[in-house]
Amino acid sequence: MQQQLSAVAVCCLAAAALIFLLILLRQRRINQRMRDRVSALERGVTVRDEELAHLVTARLPAKVQSLNGRPVEVPGPLNERLADIPYGRHLERTMEMFAETGDRAKTRADESAKATLKAMMRGVQSLANEQQLAISRMQVRHDDPDVLEGLLRIDHMNAQLGRRAQVSAVLCGSWPGLQRSASPLIDVVRGATSRIRDYLRVQVHSQVSEAVVSRAVEPVVLAVAELLDNAARHSQPNTPVEVNFQPGHNGMAIVIDDAGVAMNAEELKRAERLLAGKEAVDINRLGDPPQVGFAVIGVLAARYGFSVSVDTRSPYGGVRAVVFLPAVLLTRLDDRAQAAPKPAAPAAVPSPPAPEEPGSEAPQAPSVTAGGLPRRRRATAETPAVDEAAGQAVAAEDQEPDSLPAPVSSREPDRRAAAGLGAWQRGTRSGRATVPPDSEGKSQA
Amino acid sequence: MTRRRPERALVRPHVVTGGRAHPTRNIFDLVTLVSATRTRATGLSPEKRRVMELCQGGALSVAEVAAHLALPASVTKVLLSDLVDSGHIVTRASAADRDQTEDQLLREVLNGLRARL
Repeated sequence: MQQQLSAVAVCCLAAAALIFLLILLRQRRINQRMRDRVSALERGVTVRDEELAHLVTARLPAKVQSLNGRPVEVPGPLNERLADIPYGRHLERTMEMFAETGDRAKTRADESAKATLKAMMRGVQSLANEQQLAISRMQVRHDDPDVLEGLLRIDHMNAQLGRRAQVSAVLCGSWPGLQRSASPLIDVVRGATSRIRDYLRVQVHSQVSEAVVSRAVEPVVLAVAELLDNAARHSQPNTPVEVNFQPGHNGMAIVIDDAGVAMNAEELKRAERLLAGKEAVDINRLGDPPQVGFAVIGVLAARYGFSVSVDTRSPYGGVRAVVFLPAVLLTRLDDRAQAAPKPAAPAAVPSPPAPEEPGSEAPQAPSVTAGGLPRRRRATAETPAVDEAAGQAVAAEDQEPDSLPAPVSSREPDRRAAAGLGAWQRGTRSGRATVPPDSEGKSQA
Repeated sequence: MTRRRPERALVRPHVVTGGRAHPTRNIFDLVTLVSATRTRATGLSPEKRRVMELCQGGALSVAEVAAHLALPASVTKVLLSDLVDSGHIVTRASAADRDQTEDQLLREVLNGLRARL
């Protein structure tokens, strides 16, 4: 009996021990699993912590820098796997929102700065224009050389002031302002010369008969003025700045040579980037003092379709700047019309019989418009004048009927006046009878 | 009909005269007549070429030249005196000049002024 009992007890003990062992094993497995899980979670938290720290210490500061316009690369997330879980997506979203807000604030600040600057420069520009008118009137009224000397100096300074204002306004997205009639290329270059400080050093050598179409006059003047100013500024004060014209296959190049210092590779790269005019100008990044020349040329060149390069060395050691005007921007003024005192040029005022901009199209030479359509000519215009002034009468009439009697010679003024009035009358009649040719809209657009 | 002056001329007068305001010689007034002595005008600035063209046909007064060039008379005088220096043009005293030495007239003016003051 005793034995039986002890046998049962042993059995029970063995069973209990077995069960205990089993439970221990299971517990151990569970423990192990728990430990694994905890360590995995710990690792996950560490990764998240690191990721967050990376976002705050590296990615956001880099983004701030890049928003401020520094060439910094913004790093990506440390752990790519996080991108698949909500945590990572939220971090990315934070980053995006930050960037968006920054971008928007920057754009808004940029726009408002540009708008303010533009409005201010517009004011300065119109004042400079008014002042120029006043100076011109004084130049006519006063005959004393001493007074004239002062006036010339003031005129020169005013022209530079006007150019500065114009350049700043253009940089802020404004138009160059000032409508002009088509002008001979040589006058365009000399007009640019009028607006720079060292105008006496500029030498224009060759002669050309090409003219610049009216809408491109002011932009080309501005661009050439900037190049001339650069050339004069970066060369010795006793060296000349030479301007030459080089006719090309489908346009005309204005070549500006200086005998100064050449640009280094870095400057050249910057110039090329700006002259291409592809990227928007950031007025906050023009440097101190602001270097606006190439930026504004780039803007104008891209907007009006000419090209400027400065990557050649001048034979005199300095920089050779080349402004290439494509044939679209060129026209030909009739020789006599060009040589004659230019008809008053209220460029934007259309006169009833012929709503053309004066001289914007060469009246004689092309019989085909820029759009490829045949140009209709007035049939009766050439008849009245038989003397040497005939050519001019025709040109003047084609350009602007109501400024006709600008006699080229002092002889036979009555006859010229009569011929002019007759032509005007005929023009009015034919203008009312037929539809005016609508080539202008296309070529001027 | 009066022609409106192109007051916002593209090429400003300081470039036309090279910054000079004083004519090299003081022989011009508005009615002085000038005429060309040469037909060739190579190597001249566009304005000077234009003066030569204008003066080919005969004598023109300084005022007329200035009006044709759309330049102030004082600026035109600088150009014309350059052209006289280089022998491209000559001046002629105008008809009005010859009558100016009328003593009688001057005396009458003087008397008139004295009577008034």
